[in-house]
Amino acid sequence: MIKTEKVLHLKSSRGGKVRVVREHYVREQVECGSWLCEAGCVSDGKLLSGDVTHYVVPDAGVVRDFLEVLEFRELQGIVFTQTACQAAHHARGRRHYNRLRALLKDPRHDCILFANEFQQYSYCPREKGETQEKWHTRCVYHAAVWYYNHLAGLRPVVMITEDEDAIKEYGSQNSGVYVISTQEYLESFWPDLQAARELYASIAQALQERESEGAEKEYTEHLPAEVLEAGIKSGRYIQGTLSVNKHRAQHEAFVRFEGSSNKNTELNSDILISGGKHRNRAIHGDVVAVELLPHSEWKGRTTALTEGQGEERAGEDTQSQPMPTGRVVGIVQRNWRDYVVTFPPREELKSQSRNSQKILVIPWDYRIPKIRISTQQAEALQDHRVIVRVDSWDSTSLYPNGHTVRVLGKAGELEAEIQTILVENCIHVPPFSEAQLREMPVNSKEQPWQMGPAEVSSRRDLRDTHLVFSIDPLGCEDVDDTLSVCTLPGGKRLELGVHIADVTHFVKEGSLTDLEARSRATTYYLADRRYDMLPAVLSADLCSLLGGVDRYAMSVLWELDVETLALCNVWYGRTLIRSSYQLHYELAQSLLNGEEVEVPELSQLKSSDKSQKLAELLQALETLTRVARLLRAQRDKVGALELEGVEVRAQLDKDKNIAALVPKQPLEVHETVAECMIYANHWVARKIQESFPHQALLRHHPPPRQEFFNQLIDSAKSRGFMIDTRSNKALAESLDWAVDPQDALVNKLLRMMATQAMSNALYFSTGACPEEQYYHYGLALDRYTHFTSPIRRYADIIVHRLLMAAIQSEKDEYLHKTLASNKELDELAQHINNKNRAAQHAQKQSTELFQCLYFRDKDPLMDERCVADAIIYAIRANGMLVFLPRYGMKGAVYLKNRDSQVISVGDDGKCKWQVGTLQRYPDRISTFTAIGTHTFHLFDHVTVRISVEPSRCHADSMHLELISNKPHRAARAESHPAGHGQSELVQEVVRREEKASLQAEEQKARRPKLSREEREFRQSKTPNLYSLLQEISELALLDLSVCHLPNTEAQTCSTSA
Amino acid sequence: MAGLELLSDQGYRLDGRRAAELRKVQARMGVFAQADGSAYIEQGNTRALAVVYGPHEVRGSRSKTLHDRAVINCQYSMATFSTAERKRRPHGDRKSSEMSLHLKQTFEAAVLTQLYPRSQIDIYVKILQSDGGNYSACVNAATLALVDAGIPMRDYVCACTAGFVEDTPLADLCHAEESGGGTTLALALLPRSENIALVQMDARLHQDHLDALMEAAMMACKGLSKVLDSVVRQHLQEVSVLTRE
Repeated sequence: MIKTEKVLHLKSSRGGKVRVVREHYVREQVECGSWLCEAGCVSDGKLLSGDVTHYVVPDAGVVRDFLEVLEFRELQGIVFTQTACQAAHHARGRRHYNRLRALLKDPRHDCILFANEFQQYSYCPREKGETQEKWHTRCVYHAAVWYYNHLAGLRPVVMITEDEDAIKEYGSQNSGVYVISTQEYLESFWPDLQAARELYASIAQALQERESEGAEKEYTEHLPAEVLEAGIKSGRYIQGTLSVNKHRAQHEAFVRFEGSSNKNTELNSDILISGGKHRNRAIHGDVVAVELLPHSEWKGRTTALTEGQGEERAGEDTQSQPMPTGRVVGIVQRNWRDYVVTFPPREELKSQSRNSQKILVIPWDYRIPKIRISTQQAEALQDHRVIVRVDSWDSTSLYPNGHTVRVLGKAGELEAEIQTILVENCIHVPPFSEAQLREMPVNSKEQPWQMGPAEVSSRRDLRDTHLVFSIDPLGCEDVDDTLSVCTLPGGKRLELGVHIADVTHFVKEGSLTDLEARSRATTYYLADRRYDMLPAVLSADLCSLLGGVDRYAMSVLWELDVETLALCNVWYGRTLIRSSYQLHYELAQSLLNGEEVEVPELSQLKSSDKSQKLAELLQALETLTRVARLLRAQRDKVGALELEGVEVRAQLDKDKNIAALVPKQPLEVHETVAECMIYANHWVARKIQESFPHQALLRHHPPPRQEFFNQLIDSAKSRGFMIDTRSNKALAESLDWAVDPQDALVNKLLRMMATQAMSNALYFSTGACPEEQYYHYGLALDRYTHFTSPIRRYADIIVHRLLMAAIQSEKDEYLHKTLASNKELDELAQHINNKNRAAQHAQKQSTELFQCLYFRDKDPLMDERCVADAIIYAIRANGMLVFLPRYGMKGAVYLKNRDSQVISVGDDGKCKWQVGTLQRYPDRISTFTAIGTHTFHLFDHVTVRISVEPSRCHADSMHLELISNKPHRAARAESHPAGHGQSELVQEVVRREEKASLQAEEQKARRPKLSREEREFRQSKTPNLYSLLQEISELALLDLSVCHLPNTEAQTCSTSA
Repeated sequence: MAGLELLSDQGYRLDGRRAAELRKVQARMGVFAQADGSAYIEQGNTRALAVVYGPHEVRGSRSKTLHDRAVINCQYSMATFSTAERKRRPHGDRKSSEMSLHLKQTFEAAVLTQLYPRSQIDIYVKILQSDGGNYSACVNAATLALVDAGIPMRDYVCACTAGFVEDTPLADLCHAEESGGGTTLALALLPRSENIALVQMDARLHQDHLDALMEAAMMACKGLSKVLDSVVRQHLQEVSVLTRE
C-alpha cells in the first residue's frame, strides 16, 4: 500500500471553512469484479457477466441525474466507479445513494462497483485549479482506461457522460475506450429499449426546466440539517412523520412523533399542520421537523364529513378542541416513492400551456400535491395514468417538479386501474424471469421429478407408517399443510403430526427465486387475480402436498397422553410423506357426522377393504377433533378472542366457474384444522426462540390501547351492553354476551369495532423486543410465529430455515451457515410487515375498484340492485357511517348537503331535502325541519341508494343517499349472505371487461399487442377459488386491513391449506 | 454533508484501508539529546513526540515519594496547531488531564518501578498533529522514549484503537472514523504476555461483540509491536555503529 494525502475543504460546525487533510491509501490489488478477469483478482461478491459486447462506465453526472435509466435490467455490464458513486452520494443525498447500493447488491442486475480511487494506477489526484466536475470526469475516464487494460482489451469500454468537453477531450485518446453521450449510447447500443430512451428524455427535460427557473419565493427556506439536528436534540423542534388527512388534503396534516425522545410532556397528541404554507413543501410520509406555534394560533381538527375536495367551509362550529399546531421548518428525510398521476384533458392543457411546456398533473393519491411535469407528450398522454417521480421542490415553486417514468394506460380501464393500485402500494410483481425459472426443478410428463436418494435416506420416512391426510377447501391446488394422528404401540400415547410443505428444500437461501420471494414477501390476492410469491411449478406442484404422491415435508410430531392429552414429547424434522386422502371440509364433516359419503380415494376399492380403510380414517378424524377441542378450550381459558366474520363457501361447476355461493355452516372441522395449525406455529415459535434467543422471527400482537375502545364501549352502551376491555379474556366474554336477539348484525358490528380498535399483529426479531412483548393478544399465546404456509408467505420460509438450523445445531453442535443477525432479521421483519400491509391495502382497493365498476353503469334510480339495506354504526357531525351487509361495504351518508339542507323524513318513511338544522349526540343524530323532527339512532336500519361518484384523477368513490329510514324489505327477504353480491359483482365486471377487450381486439385487430400486455401484467387470469375465498374473508364484516386476529389467522390457515 | 460511509460494501474504509489494516507507522528514537530518552512517531497523520526524564530524585513536594518504587509522572498536551481549528488551550484542560492519568496508569503497569525506589520518572508527550488515536500514538511514542532512556520494562507497551461499524471490527481508527459515532475501544497491550495494561471504551456495545472487538484490537497491537521492535533494533544498530567508530 502506498500512502498519499488528500486535502479537503470542509465546513466546520461554526460555519467557517476548514482545511482537512485525510490519508488516502492506494494499492495495486483492487478487485475488478469481472468474470473475464485474468489477472487473478480475488472477488467473493457479484461478478459482471462475460457475455456482453461491451462494458459501460457512467460518469459522475450520469449517475447523479440518470440513475433511473441505468436501473433498467436490460442494460448490462455497468461498471460504477467509486468516484461517480461518491459524487452522487454527495450531491443527491443518502436516499439516492442507498438506491444505488441496492442496485449494486441486486444479483439480478448486471452491474458492479469498481473502487477506482483505491487502485494505484487509476487514482488521479486533483490538480490545482481543476474544477470538481472536471476532476471527477478525469477520474472516471482513467478508471475506464485502466479497466480496459486490466481486462487485456477483451471487451471495449464505453464511458457515457453528459459533458460535451469531455467527449471532445477524451473521445479519441485511447482505442477501445469510447466516450459518448448518454443519449447517443442509448440510441446506438440499445435501440430496442424504447422505455429507457423515453425516461432519459423526460429526466433531461425536467433538469433543463429546473435550471431556467425563476426566483420568487413561495415558501420559507428549510433550515440546514445541522440546525435541525441540534434543534431536535434540544427539544425546540419536534421530529415526526407527516401524514396528510385524506379528506382535507389541502388543509390538514398531522405529525406523529417518533419514539418518546421529546421532552414536551404536555404534547401527547399529534401536531396539526394547517394549510400549505405551514406544511412548507413536505409531502405525505416525509420525516419532518416541526416548530410549535404559540397557543393563540392553535386550531382544532374538523370533525364534519366532507364531500370531495370542493367544500372549503370549515366553519367554527365543526371544529373540535384546539390542539397543538405547528409549522414545518425542515425536512429530515424525504420519503418519495413513485406516484401515479393523471394527465389533464385537452381543455385544461390549453389554459395551462401558456406557461411553457409545464403541466400540472394530479396524483391518484389525494394526499399528494399536484406535480409539475415538463413534457412534450401532454397531448398524447391526456387522461392516461402515468407513473411519475418527484425530483425536487424548491422554495420558489408552488408545486414539486417531477418527470414521467412509465405509462400505465387510460384512466378507467381495468388494467390501468389495477396497475395503479399496485404502484400506489409499492408492489412490484414482474413475471418470473428465465434465470429464476431455470433454477426450478422440472416436473413434466416426459421428465417426472424424482426424489434424490440422499434426501430419502436423510429424512424420516413416514410414507408407510403414518396415515397422512389434508383437509382443505374444495378444489384447492396449493396444499401446504397435512395432518396425521395415530396411537403409538403400547396404547398409552397418541401421536399428532402436522406436516408442512418443505419449500426451503427447493428455495435455497440466496438463490434468485429466494430473492424474488423475499422482495415480494407474500402472495398478493386482488379481487380478480393473484400474484404468486413462488413460481407455479413449486406452489401448485412440487411443494403442494397432493394426495397419493411422495413429497418432502417439514413435520412437527407431538406425543400426547391418550387419556389426559397431556404433552409428553415433541419432535421436529424433515420427513417424507405421502398424503393418503385429500379431503375437503364438508366431506370431513360429513364423515364425522356419520353420514354415508363417498371418499374419492376409496371409490375403486372393494367393499371390505373400503370399510376398513374408512373406519381407520374416521377414527383419525375423531381423535383429531377431540384433541383440537381440548387445545381450543385451553386457549379460551386464558382469553383467546374470537372475532367472527361471515364465511362463505363457493360451489364450483365442472369448468371451475363459480356456480353459487352458499353460506357456510360453521363446521367444526374448520376449527379443528385451524387449531392444529396454531398449535404447530406455537410450538415452532417456542423451539426457535429457545435455540436463537436473539435472532428468531416471531409474530406478536401487542395489546391495544384502552382509549381506542371508547367508541366500542359507547356504541354498546346505546344498546345496553357493557363491554369490558380490561383484558382479552374479559373482552371475549363481554362480546359473547352482547347479542341482540332481534338483530344479529349488532354483535357483528361490535366485533368489527373491537377489531378496529386493535393494532395489527406484526413479525419481529426476538432480539429487537423485550421478552414480555412477545405475547400474542388475539390468540392468547406467549409465543407465536408463522410456520404453516411457506408457499405463500416468506416469513414461513425464514421460520423453516431457523427451525432447520435449530435442529442441526442440536445434532452436531455447530452451525453450517451463519444465520441472519438480529439487525438483518429485524429489517426483514419490517419489510414483510410493510409488504403485508401493502397487500392488504391493494386487496381492499381492488375490491373497491370492482364495486365502483359494477355500479358505474347501473342507473341508481331504476336498478333494484342499487338500493340496499344499511345499518348505522357511527355518528358524525353532519352525517353517519353505515354498513351495507348485502355488498359488505361501508360508507358515509350525509344528512346535510352543500346548500345547508338537511334530510327530513315523511310519514311514509321517505326522505327529502329540506331546510333545517342538525343536532348531534353521542349515540344519535336528529334533524329538525318544518315537517318535523327525526332522530337516527346507532344500529338503526335504513335504506340507501348507491351511486358512483366518478372521479377523473382519483379512484371512483361510492355515494350513498338515504331514501328511507325503514329497513329495505327486498334486501331482507333475499337473505343473501354477505359477499354474495360481491362475488357476482367481480364476475360481472371481469366478464364485461373481457368482452370489451375482445371487441377492441376484433375491431382494431391488435391482438398480439394486447395479449403481450396481458402476459406482462397478469399471472393468473381467471378468478380462482383461492383468491375468491380470500376476498370474501376480506369482505366479511371483520376488517382484515385493520387487524389480524385469531380468527383471521385461523381462517387463513384453513382456507389456504 | 450526508453521513459518511465508514465501511463500503466492498470492504474499504474511508481512506482505502481494509478493516484490519493499520495506518502507516513511522518512528524515530533519540530525537533530543538533552533528554534521557525521546521518540517521535507517526501513525498515519497522527504525530506524537515523547520525552522521558529520569529516573531522578523526586522533585517538588517530598510527600509524593514512594519508598518501594518509582513515581511515574505523565504530562500530555496537544499543540495548538494539532487540529484543524486552532486549539485555545494546549494543556491542562479536562481531556488532557484525563489522558495524562491514563498514560500514568498504563506505564505503572509496564515499567519495573520497584527497581527505582524513592525516585521519579517523567514522561512528557505532545501531540503535534491529531488525526485519531491520540492515546495510542502517545503510548507507543512513550514506550520508544522509555526504551531510549534505558528504563527497564516488562515488555513493549503497544496501544491501538479499534472500532465497531456494521458488525465489523475496524483496527486503528482515523479521526473521521472516531467521530463517526461508533464505538471506540482503546487498548494498551503487553504483546508477549498478552497482558492488558489499559483498556478503555466509552460507548455502548453489545456484549456479544466485545470479544470480536478485543480480538481485533489485540491483533492490531501485536502488529504494532513488530513495527516498534524493528524501530528499536534499527536504532540500536545505528547507535552501535556510531559508538564503535
